[in-house]
Amino acid sequence: MSGHASARLQTAQALVVTGLILYIPANILPVMTMTVVGEVEPLTVMGGVQELYDSGLAPIAGIVFLASIVVPFCKLAALSWLLLMHGRPVWQRQRGALRRIVHTVGSWSMVDVFLLSILAAVGQLGVLASVVAEPGALFFSAVLICTLFASESYNAAMIWQTQEGLAP
Amino acid sequence: MSQACVTRWISCPECEASCRDHALPPGTELHCQRCGVRVKKASGLRSLQPAWAFATAGLFFAVLANGNPILTFDVAGNTQSNLIVTGVFSLFQQGYGPVAALVFFAGLAGPVLHMAAVWYVAAACCLAQRWPALRRVAKLAESLEAWNLVPVYAVATVVAVVKLDMLGTVDWQQGAWWVLVLSLCSLFTVQFFDRGLVEQGLEELT
Repeated sequence: MSGHASARLQTAQALVVTGLILYIPANILPVMTMTVVGEVEPLTVMGGVQELYDSGLAPIAGIVFLASIVVPFCKLAALSWLLLMHGRPVWQRQRGALRRIVHTVGSWSMVDVFLLSILAAVGQLGVLASVVAEPGALFFSAVLICTLFASESYNAAMIWQTQEGLAP
Repeated sequence: MSQACVTRWISCPECEASCRDHALPPGTELHCQRCGVRVKKASGLRSLQPAWAFATAGLFFAVLANGNPILTFDVAGNTQSNLIVTGVFSLFQQGYGPVAALVFFAGLAGPVLHMAAVWYVAAACCLAQRWPALRRVAKLAESLEAWNLVPVYAVATVVAVVKLDMLGTVDWQQGAWWVLVLSLCSLFTVQFFDRGLVEQGLEELT
């Protein structure tokens, strides 16, 4: 394997491990605090989904759950598997297809970050209604950046590299 | 050696394998023997025209989507409206610079840069012009594709409206429609900016 490819592989591995570690605080810590008519409510990613579900908005809750919880987790799991399989001459077409899916679907996990930015923009009405970002948002954003750059670093050509070098 | 014996090879845009190039009958495609991805389609340079058209429209709508308010939120007579960039400023002022930077890049700069890069490459291919750094810009367009997240922003806007509706009165503003149109343009730009066609177009230019 060339030095360049090796560096790309190591970068992808480092980013995926970092993403897996940061995924825990991203889901435990609140991403925002909403104040509505003086009532303060910190919300985690899952808390936001739960709130939508409890309000009878199951389809919207489902979209947010898929985009913010399932997609980042599946992306991290898929990238981990692809990196674990690196260099093995098996299921390369399927691995290539999985990488393409990860690359295409992965960006939908940005829904929660955009949602936070919209709520923070309009939620500037003091005690009546305000939305403030919390540290969970930083960890969540970091997970997304790690997964985006990891899937960018581990390109499709690397799937076809075997332990002996490039496949024919 | 006769001309007919010369074998032409092209690189697969996905796995970079060398594929034996040959003239394709109309309507057929050349697929990579290794990864199965489409390498070439039997069509001329003109097939990048839809990508060019949608990128042009997208750049125009990006100005409108960023210049008009998207939502108005009202609680007890107190009203607040927002632009895409307002969210970036709010997050920055709250001390969340990295999150603000991510929103700025994925919701504003990334889509505009991506469509500008697509416009440059597609226009060069359609007009058969050898503009500078075409290959580099094509690579940039490919890399920025993952950062063109306007459709995701549009979905987040819908979720935000649903959430805010529980707390006060929310009204859609003109900017929301421009965001929707921009999302469609960006989806179609990605769809029509086929890597095989780009590679083919650049090959024919150089």
